[in-house]
Amino acid sequence: MTAFLDAVYPGVLAASAVLFLAGAATMAAIRLHRALTWVVTGFYAVTVIEAITLIVILVNGGVPVVITVGYILAAVALLPLLGIARLGAPDADSDDPNRPILQTDQIARVDGAAAMIIAVAAAVVAWRIATILGAVS
Amino acid sequence: MNSGRMNNAYMNPVARIALIVAYAVLALAALGRSSYQISTKFADAPLAYSISAVSALLYAVIAFALWKGIRRLALAGSSIELAGVLIVGTLGYVESSWWPDETVWTGYGSAYGWVPLALPILALWALYRSKGSRTL
Repeated sequence: MTAFLDAVYPGVLAASAVLFLAGAATMAAIRLHRALTWVVTGFYAVTVIEAITLIVILVNGGVPVVITVGYILAAVALLPLLGIARLGAPDADSDDPNRPILQTDQIARVDGAAAMIIAVAAAVVAWRIATILGAVS
Repeated sequence: MNSGRMNNAYMNPVARIALIVAYAVLALAALGRSSYQISTKFADAPLAYSISAVSALLYAVIAFALWKGIRRLALAGSSIELAGVLIVGTLGYVESSWWPDETVWTGYGSAYGWVPLALPILALWALYRSKGSRTL
C-alpha cells in the first residue's frame, strides 16, 4: 500500500500530466503526433505497473474489494480510447459507411484530444484509489 | 446524394470523435459509480442510484449513436441528458430531502467538473450545426 501511495500514485499523476501536455502540444502542432505515440506507449506501461501494484495490494487484503477492482478495471478500460483515431483512418478495417473518416492532420488532433481527456480521467481514477487506500492505511 | 452538400452537413470528425471519447469516459465513470452503489447500498437512495444507472446507459447510447452516425438518436439522447442534468441539479437544491446521496447529475455534475452539464450543450451545438443530414 505504501508503494502505491509513495511511488506509483505520484508516477501516474506525472504520467497523466505528461500525456495531457503531449496531447495539447499535438493539437497545436500535429508534427508532434509521433512524440505523442511514444508518450502513449509510456502511459500504457505506467498503467500496467499501477494495475499490478493494485492487484498485489488486493491479494494481500485489507482494502475494499469491489470498489478497488472497479477502479482497476476503469484504469485499464481507459487505455483503448488512446489512439481511437486509428478507427477513423481511411484504410481502417471497417464496413461501417457512417464511421468518421479522418485525414492525417485530423488523426493527430483526435489523438491529441483523446490524450487530454484520458489524462484527466486517469488522474482522477488514481486519485480515487489513493483516497481509498489512504483511508484504510 | 450530393457528396459536397453532405460534407457541409456533417459534424466535424475531430469534434465527433472527441465527443465520443468524452461520452465513453463518462459512461465508464457513471457505470462504475452506479454498479457499486446499486450492488452495495441500493436501499439507501434508490432514486439517486437509479438515476446514476440511467445516466450511464444514456452516455453509452449517445457515444454509440455518435459513432454510428445516428443523428436523431444522438440528438434525443443529448436532449434528455441536458434536461436530466438541469432537472436533477435544480431538484438537488430545491428538494434536497429527496436525495440522501448524490447522483452523477447532482449539483449540475459538479463532482465531475461540470462536464455532465457542458457535454450535452457542446453535443447539441455540434449536432445542430450538422442539421439537414440524417446522419453525421
